[in-house]
Amino acid sequence: MSNEHFEQELLNRIQELPQERQPERDLWPGIEMAMNIQVEAAAPQGNVVAFAKQPVWYASAASFLIVAMFAWFNFNNSNVLQVNEEFIAQMTMQHEEQKTALLVKFEDQPALTQNWQQQLKELDEAAGAVKKALLQEPNNLALLKMLQHVHQQQIDLIENVHSSRWTQI
Amino acid sequence: MVSSENIVAAEDKFGAQADADLSLVNAVKQGDKRAYRQLYDKHIGRVYALCYRLTADKSLAEDAAQEVFVQLWQKIENYRGDSKFTTWLHSVTSNVTISYLRKQKSWWQKMFSIEDSEVMQHGAEESSDSVDLDTYVARLPERARLVFVLHAIEGYRHEEIAKMLNMALGSSKAQFHRSKQLIKEWMGYE
Repeated sequence: MSNEHFEQELLNRIQELPQERQPERDLWPGIEMAMNIQVEAAAPQGNVVAFAKQPVWYASAASFLIVAMFAWFNFNNSNVLQVNEEFIAQMTMQHEEQKTALLVKFEDQPALTQNWQQQLKELDEAAGAVKKALLQEPNNLALLKMLQHVHQQQIDLIENVHSSRWTQI
Repeated sequence: MVSSENIVAAEDKFGAQADADLSLVNAVKQGDKRAYRQLYDKHIGRVYALCYRLTADKSLAEDAAQEVFVQLWQKIENYRGDSKFTTWLHSVTSNVTISYLRKQKSWWQKMFSIEDSEVMQHGAEESSDSVDLDTYVARLPERARLVFVLHAIEGYRHEEIAKMLNMALGSSKAQFHRSKQLIKEWMGYE
């Protein structure tokens, strides 16, 4: 079959494509909610959003401090940073506590996107892979930073899909 | 392969009821949410169709379409009536969806800069007659799919696409060629 036939068939198929397609999910409630949030945010109510976010920052700072102390302790006891299973477990526990606190906080608040839990799961898998690598290479600071970065991405994700995302657009 | 007539037709894809749209847009600019709902009902089908073709994923397309209408509410002031509302909406939809897709890249892709180059896997070979073009488009690798949808279906010029996708003009043309070759193969021409 010739190239000319293909071009013609392709053109025909493009012209036959349906112009409309309806989403399976009702998108309007999410849009309306975002519109209402914008309207509320536009009203002069002081720095409510910034205040509401403060506990999370405190939690992040506390988490970072504990990780830093652990690292310092390990470093000073062996002159080389040793990331062992206990260290990773402590880091994971701190992160899980912070994550759970956020999920509880936003429990009654609908998420503005549908696939955030899938993304959260992907990040969990990523964290798992980094932890495994860390156990193989306990002196690798880059891997440690990577793990912290993945944890922070999870926190950001939960906040962004539940909180004042639309006020930041 | 895209003639100037097709480009005009593509630009007109979102419909020709410009006057009705304009009065709704003016009401929305005054903060009328009911008018915005009407505008949504009128255009969601076409907006979602474009989002779906660009993302090749129902869930992503729904989220992207939602994002389009949230941003539209904020940016409707920017519409000055120089072009048809539908043309403007068309452009907003493409840009928002492309931006949304970039944000949705998985952590692994971002961290290790994994190039999207794999063709979507598909099941046993079907007869090319029984498969619609949308199915083939959804199978294309991401960049090839974006270029194909924007150029062949939506009528954008390669210069415009290169700008939208932040790629070289030659890359846009190459991706278009690649997408056509793949579709040609899937349609049983090679």
